[in-house]
Amino acid sequence: MDPFVKFTSQSQGRDRIFRTAQYACSLAVYLLRNNSDRKDLVAKLKSLETSLSAGRKLLRLGNAANSIEAAKRTVQLSDRVLRLCLTVANVSRALYFICDNVLWAKSVGLIRNIDKERWSLNSSRFYFFSLVMHLSRDVYAVLQVMTKRSRDKNFKQRMDQHLTENPEVAEVVVPHLDGFLFLLLETLKSHPDLALDSVKNICDLFMPLDKLGLYQSNGGVIGFCGLISSLIGIVTLTQPRLRIAP
Amino acid sequence: MDSWVRFNAQSQAKERVFRAAQYACALLGSTLQNDEAAEIRRTVSQLEAHMSLTRKLLRLGNSVEALEAAKRSIHLSDSVLRLCLTISHLNRAMYFACDNVLWAGKTGLISELDQHKWSQRSFRYYLFALILNLTRDAYELHLLVEREARSRTSKQPSSPSIPLPPDHLPSSSSPATQAVNVGWLYRQLHLVGTVLYSNPPLLLDLVKNSCDIFIPLDRLGIYPTGPGFVGACGLASSVLSILTMVHPWLKLKP
Repeated sequence: MDPFVKFTSQSQGRDRIFRTAQYACSLAVYLLRNNSDRKDLVAKLKSLETSLSAGRKLLRLGNAANSIEAAKRTVQLSDRVLRLCLTVANVSRALYFICDNVLWAKSVGLIRNIDKERWSLNSSRFYFFSLVMHLSRDVYAVLQVMTKRSRDKNFKQRMDQHLTENPEVAEVVVPHLDGFLFLLLETLKSHPDLALDSVKNICDLFMPLDKLGLYQSNGGVIGFCGLISSLIGIVTLTQPRLRIAP
Repeated sequence: MDSWVRFNAQSQAKERVFRAAQYACALLGSTLQNDEAAEIRRTVSQLEAHMSLTRKLLRLGNSVEALEAAKRSIHLSDSVLRLCLTISHLNRAMYFACDNVLWAGKTGLISELDQHKWSQRSFRYYLFALILNLTRDAYELHLLVEREARSRTSKQPSSPSIPLPPDHLPSSSSPATQAVNVGWLYRQLHLVGTVLYSNPPLLLDLVKNSCDIFIPLDRLGIYPTGPGFVGACGLASSVLSILTMVHPWLKLKP
């Protein structure tokens, strides 16, 4: 019981749980939408989803300051690419939170004369941009580890063994692809934090892609991706070694 | 900025800020009684309802925390403290459980819920918890006043006027006995004042619980005071609890 209490006493922990529940409801609503004898349940799940979403918007009210603090920290990183990617990502996330707070104020009635559509579009744009920056950082980190590994003698031996074991695959038109994939999978297996962060960012990407009209997907895909990324978020919070640093 | 980030990270801290905002809205809504401010009053009451529902959402896991606190307080050495705190935590756990049921009813998860009945139930548990907290405060105050009185009499062995309690005196109410009564009362009040001044955590907890108790008293109809007074009390107690969170040394232990 004690680790549960410790987890939920953190604001982030609670928010991740609510996010998981919200996307689980969204996925369930999509899956049951054509089921006529579960209409009652679908209505309940929809209202739960709206109340969770509204509650989370209120809970996000102070988060822009968190992102600005994170940006101040990442500006001091030694690696230039990491410094650029993470600082821009954090600044973009802070701008997303500010847009989100303005939208909350409009929904509650504190601010009246603003163009809700424009602000919603801007918030999606900032969120999308911060995700793209996080993914760039992931790709950079993966490439760094891959180049280091490919120079490692033990690894070269293992790769040659893998390629000679499966000769029919190695003789395919793109023999280098097999070696590349092997290197990539080995890298991701040995760095689970990197793998989890990449999967999380890719899953999160579907929401702004849909909102901005760049890649239309249905409610089920968004619900499923949101659920996966929220679950990964909970796992990284409970197991600090699975959290990517910095 | 750094202290804000740390403060923000605590879930309870956010809940307290929203509580302060909710009661500020209630206070503001009660002061705007004229017709011109109908629009503002509607916005304020809408904001208050939104904050109340979100706070209920945020409190969803608090029954477990209250039960854990009750488990810890069972091991206290002082028997009065042990009794008061354990029962207070158990009442708080029941209050949170009723509150969770109310949230489920408000969001539509439970379709036919007698909201009034459950609301009254939750306020009753909250009232019991507050009464027990105040009893604990009074007990701590009593112990400290006794200790202070003993240390005072030991410092001044030959005091000119020994404070005799009124029931030791004869029942005749002559002006001399009345003067001694008033003198005794004044000395007791001075003692209490000194003890409270030198123990800010106890003072803060006492004021907080006294402010808080007006809320369930009003909602249960035992002592109706009106939304403005309830809002002011709620705001004051929220600000005090935010203060104890920002300065942890101000929190009354255990």
